[in-house]
Amino acid sequence: MSQSHRLNNEGLVNRDNKISFKFNGKKYFGYEGDTLASALLANGVHLVGRSFKYHRPRGFFGAGVDEPNAKLQIKLNGHSEPNVNATEIELVDGIEASSQNCWPSVQFDIGAINNFLNKFFPAGFYYKTFMWPKSFWYKIYEPFIRKAAGLGVASAKKDKERYEHKYEYCDLLVTGSGPAGLSTAYAAAKNGAKVILAEDKPRFGGSLLTDNVTIDNLSGKAWSYKIISELKEMPNVIVKNRSQVFGYYDHNMMVMFERTGDHLKDKPKYTPRQRLWYIRAKEVLLSTGSIERPIVFGNNDTPGIFLSAAAKEYIKVYGVLVGKKPLIFTNNDSAYETALEFKNQGIQPVILDTREEQSSELIDEAKNQNIEIKFSHAVMAANGYKKVKSALIGKLNKDKSGFETSETIECDCICVSGFWTPTVHLASQSGNRLEFNDQIDAFVPNISKQNEKSIGASKGTFTLKETLEEGFKIGFEVSKNITKNDNFVSTPNSNEPKKNIHDKFWCSPLPEGKDYKRFVDFQNDVAVSDIEIALREGYRSIEHVKRYTTLGMATDQGRTSNLNGLQLVANVEKKIVPQVGHTTFRPPFTPITIGTIVGREVDMEYMPTRKTPMHTWHEKNNAVFVDAGAWKRPRYYKQGNETLLEAAKREAKNVREHVGICDVTTLGKIDIKGPDAAEFLNRVYTNAWLKLPVGKARYGVMLREDGIVMDDGTTTRISENHYHMTTTTAQAANVLSHLEYYLQVVWPDLKVNVLSTTEQWAGAALAGPKSRSVLAKLFPNLDVSNESLPFMGYVEGDLFGVNARIFRISFSGELAYEINVESDCGLFMWKKMMDIGKDFNIQPYGTEALSTLRIEMGHVAGPELDGRTIPSDVSLEGLVSKKKDFIGKRSLQKEAFNKSDRQKIVGLVPTDKKSSIPEGSHLVVNKNAKLPNPKLGHVSSSCWSVENNNPFSLAIIKDGKNMIGKKLFAVSPLKNTAIEVEVISSHYVDHEGKRVRS
Amino acid sequence: MQKYSIFSLIKNAFSNHEKWDLAWKDPTPKKEYDVVIIGGGGHGLATAYYLAKEHKITNVAIIEKGWIGGGNIGRNTTIIRSNFMYDDNAKFNEFGMNLWRNMSQELNFNVMFSPRGIINLAHSDAQMNAYARRGNSMRLNGIDAVLLNREEVKKIIPMADFSEDVRYPIFGGLAQPSAGTARHDAVAWGYARQADSMGVDIIQNCEVTGFDVSAGKIQGIRTSRGDIKTKKIGLCVAGSTNVLAEKLNMTLPIETHLLQACVSEPVKPILDGVVTFGAGHFYISQSDKGEMVMGGDLDGYNSYAQKGNLPTIQHVLTGGIALFPFLSRLKMLRTWGGIMDMSMDGSPIIDKTHIEGLYLNCGWCYGGFKSVPSSGWTFAHTIAQDKVHELNEGFSLNRFSRGYLLDEKGLGTKTWIS
Amino acid sequence: MLYIKCPYCGYRSQKEFAYGGDGTIKRPELNQNISDEKWDEFVYFRKSPRGKHIELWHHIAGCRQWFQVQRNTVTHEIFQTAKMGEDIK
Repeated sequence: MSQSHRLNNEGLVNRDNKISFKFNGKKYFGYEGDTLASALLANGVHLVGRSFKYHRPRGFFGAGVDEPNAKLQIKLNGHSEPNVNATEIELVDGIEASSQNCWPSVQFDIGAINNFLNKFFPAGFYYKTFMWPKSFWYKIYEPFIRKAAGLGVASAKKDKERYEHKYEYCDLLVTGSGPAGLSTAYAAAKNGAKVILAEDKPRFGGSLLTDNVTIDNLSGKAWSYKIISELKEMPNVIVKNRSQVFGYYDHNMMVMFERTGDHLKDKPKYTPRQRLWYIRAKEVLLSTGSIERPIVFGNNDTPGIFLSAAAKEYIKVYGVLVGKKPLIFTNNDSAYETALEFKNQGIQPVILDTREEQSSELIDEAKNQNIEIKFSHAVMAANGYKKVKSALIGKLNKDKSGFETSETIECDCICVSGFWTPTVHLASQSGNRLEFNDQIDAFVPNISKQNEKSIGASKGTFTLKETLEEGFKIGFEVSKNITKNDNFVSTPNSNEPKKNIHDKFWCSPLPEGKDYKRFVDFQNDVAVSDIEIALREGYRSIEHVKRYTTLGMATDQGRTSNLNGLQLVANVEKKIVPQVGHTTFRPPFTPITIGTIVGREVDMEYMPTRKTPMHTWHEKNNAVFVDAGAWKRPRYYKQGNETLLEAAKREAKNVREHVGICDVTTLGKIDIKGPDAAEFLNRVYTNAWLKLPVGKARYGVMLREDGIVMDDGTTTRISENHYHMTTTTAQAANVLSHLEYYLQVVWPDLKVNVLSTTEQWAGAALAGPKSRSVLAKLFPNLDVSNESLPFMGYVEGDLFGVNARIFRISFSGELAYEINVESDCGLFMWKKMMDIGKDFNIQPYGTEALSTLRIEMGHVAGPELDGRTIPSDVSLEGLVSKKKDFIGKRSLQKEAFNKSDRQKIVGLVPTDKKSSIPEGSHLVVNKNAKLPNPKLGHVSSSCWSVENNNPFSLAIIKDGKNMIGKKLFAVSPLKNTAIEVEVISSHYVDHEGKRVRS
Repeated sequence: MQKYSIFSLIKNAFSNHEKWDLAWKDPTPKKEYDVVIIGGGGHGLATAYYLAKEHKITNVAIIEKGWIGGGNIGRNTTIIRSNFMYDDNAKFNEFGMNLWRNMSQELNFNVMFSPRGIINLAHSDAQMNAYARRGNSMRLNGIDAVLLNREEVKKIIPMADFSEDVRYPIFGGLAQPSAGTARHDAVAWGYARQADSMGVDIIQNCEVTGFDVSAGKIQGIRTSRGDIKTKKIGLCVAGSTNVLAEKLNMTLPIETHLLQACVSEPVKPILDGVVTFGAGHFYISQSDKGEMVMGGDLDGYNSYAQKGNLPTIQHVLTGGIALFPFLSRLKMLRTWGGIMDMSMDGSPIIDKTHIEGLYLNCGWCYGGFKSVPSSGWTFAHTIAQDKVHELNEGFSLNRFSRGYLLDEKGLGTKTWIS
Repeated sequence: MLYIKCPYCGYRSQKEFAYGGDGTIKRPELNQNISDEKWDEFVYFRKSPRGKHIELWHHIAGCRQWFQVQRNTVTHEIFQTAKMGEDIK
């Protein structure tokens, strides 16, 4: 099909590269350099979507980020993406686009019935109805509303694209490459500053690409090319197109996203789809330009109605006519440029100007070119349903509150200009409190709160000459402050048409007896009447208006509706716009792909994976791993068809009967050195540490200041002023920060240093009655007898040429040792142990067996030390010194902590000796009691006791020890179990602790 | 007061919607009130409503610095639940669930409460056990809870990542089927409209500049719109509690932090209920409009900025994609922040104070929205009767010194790491 | 993302630091008799001003030093950073 609206000799698209694409199933052609919007318009396609609420036909309105309507579902490279802005996405081969929010098709949409019933769906209607009968809201109305809402369809498929992050520092970040941005970046770069120039669009130049101006005796476009190519050559400049700075964060942290992949037909491998830049800029120069605002009139949402600058951009950049019988509707001079561009292409436009007859360079030029101009005229309403067919226009009365005449004029497009709104989003995000400028009827930046300046149209400077002057001057001054250089570039001469002031007209009055929908916010279907209702009902704050009507809350975030909405509120409330105020500008400037924000931390890289030096061995030996924070730990080593429980029983039993080996590398390890180390430990732990001899280990418990147990572990005195602390795997990082806090902040006088050595040591626990025999063979030159290396003893040894630390400590309750070697030797150590242990029936055991062993011994761990327990709750009161002070001690005096029936740890066995008690069960007296059934406590850890061959659990219950001997029910309504249990001591195995000392 | 219904809607359509009444008036402050509620947010508006309705105290003013509903009631992610472990939290919020279920009818304002359920996902057996402890506690308190295994979770959210190459696989989850969401603004407006109709003065754009306290008793307040006499003040200004406490020379067990949330562009329904990720800070639901509403973590340092950091959003969304890879292709539309009263044990404070006539409602952390009705109801009782109700007994100010903490997460006083 | 000047390492992005809360809290001396009120004030009660706030930060991904920061809690402007023990205005 031929491109009916494509011009032959205008535009910047590459006519040598024809690109095919599909829209709603039909095949079309466009050119390289087109957006999807320009390609569709070239083919005469205007109707692209349906509106959110009323399902009214909608077409293109803008040519970039200003577009409220043209959000399409795009299929490309096997991915389907909703809500893609057709005016921004570049045309590449194979795009399949389709309209959203319509059924069965955009041409015939059942939902459009809403449009005919729109009288019944004013702003806030859903707050007033759908309440009867009660259950219908959730069951009937809401599901219907949910189905009707939403725009495109999210694909449930995993995104296989790659997204990257990049970090940069610069002296100046310049956001936008129009005349303001180019001149600033150029002046600063020439003065030696490190500059990043970011342009959202694929092409640099901004308005210079479309405006009929000259700079330095070149056309605006040619000058922009020249400057950009110079900047690109400079080593101190990074020039980025397809890159939008979307957020201004604290301390001049700017965030930009770059579209690196979607415009490429064959994306090279490893090229990301999009890239997120975190840029720390010393100075930010905001040259974001301005966005044309519409004039509100009847049926102003009909396809074929455009912003006038967009229509001009389609001609100048894409060589596309948005219509062949254009009506230009304006309150200012700039739309005359659009009219003249049409005229240049042999198209005869008609101009409606709300201002009285006047003369200016552009107006005179239009007159000279025989363009019909109707002054003091406005559009009352557009006619046509799926496309503009004509317009009802009229002559405005003196105060512009009504019309004196009325006539219908044929047209196939209406190009509207209601003057310009500076793009102040980034300035506002920086903390700059905007002020209202009534010369231009818009908000502009005021006093900078961070190192930020606006230049050109983004601060309301609308002439080229002043913009260039500002740019060259500020670019030089700002860079001079940073680089101390003095290379001044003078502002080039420029030429532009001089413009008259605009008319404050922003909304056409309704003609007598008509109630046309006049839309302020297109995408969310917010009309003038909706805002009037909100105000009538008392929703008078602009935030209330916004929330009640959803004005400005659509995906275009009110870029074209914001000021007109404020004007309307001001008019009704008899205020001026600055009294109404504005809603907050929040990042991002345009919607940002979530994948881009996240970057590479996906799938297995969501979090780091920490592996011990013995990990490969575990893998080879059928270990099933469990996540312990970032660590991977063997949970059990699967043999044959074993279940988890069977394996845990086997491994634990082997420890009790023979010897087992467990990878304990993940425990936190902290080196503590200094003459005051003992005193420090004495303050950190609840028990006494001053008299621990060299070569001895001690178990310790540390509290938070609120008295709650923070962590436990053993600490060993390696030498006079050197201690080795172990922490739980989970708390390792917290404990180190905790120790550093007390050393640096609270007790800086203590001469102690702490250092994490977790990664330096690989650790293996050797546990079981035969562990000493294995140890003896591992260290043939060492006396490992009970006398020489008693419980809680420590020695250093030589493990076949490797230095090893041997701690006689036990978590399993058996005779046990923990051996540490340098991490690089971990695997060597492990293999040696397995090798030597063969004769003693050695088996590796995982965390599940480890739990079994510690539970039946009554040793507490994470489930008991859950951030809510004090030492006496878990039978650790014996470790709490009465004599000395320590962190958190004072809190232990609290009333609740000393109540006689305070929760305490106990053991439980099911009375049938068979039923395992689910962890998380609660203990009750009466399993059938009426709810709420009073709870005595909960089951914290459960295991199958390998020693006694029946289930055993630890529980923390009210009045703890006094309950021993009582029978209760452990109930888990979630699992529908109620098990009768007997309360016993929490030490189920080896009460006296003989084994560890054997 | 006009009654809202389909009939009134049709009737008004024929008069071009020109005959709707004001939802609430805009009165000038009187010289004196029986009770002054400071803060026109959810909690303040609900308190005023229940004072009028349950205790027939209608000579009440709500003093709001900005516009009603502009604080956290208008900035939250609208989750309503009672899935708590501690009895005090559970009872209180389950009482609130019953108020939620009837709220639209009671207020004659559709607050769109919909019990689409919440699932807290677990990614290890240890986490499953911790959830079982909480879920069983809920069940024994008469609150609905279901423990789901991996397959059951998959049936409900098949688009979550159940593939092999996932860092923290889903083990299962704890669900509260009766939990849900509501339209947050509507809650504020609904309470405001009813309170107004019963005689409560809603005074907006009125800043409290000081308190008149003598002999240990409240005598009145000073505002930007003049002095107001009153014997009773209810402070409902979560997020600004510390600022007003300073004016009263009070220090509280509260730090002020920023919580951010964000929404995606609207898409067709893909997620029905609320889901929380168990291996990171992330929760999500889909609004009736189609936006994915997401939140998760504090910015991590004291803040009154109502504007947050991108790294926090990045951190939250990273968890989002880990759970729901399809989110990667959606676009983040809008981010915003709300200022939180982070209490030292993560639970709120609703209590009397050492100043006679000064009542405190604060410390909601990031769970204030769900408690709006129960908080308003119990606070109204506390103010009207000058004594705490059984339901808010546990939320006393002195629980910290006495040791009766309600630390659902067991994280202690480092409020910024919760 | 804040840009924080570690008194030992210079300017670094916030990513390298962990927050440490109110920097004006003084832990009571050890082995002193202390009233319940004083102790609770230390453990639970916080000044959380709107505006200037002295707080602690910890350079965990750097020199691992704790230090003081004076910051505006509304604008996040950092007025001063100092080593522990140094005066902060």
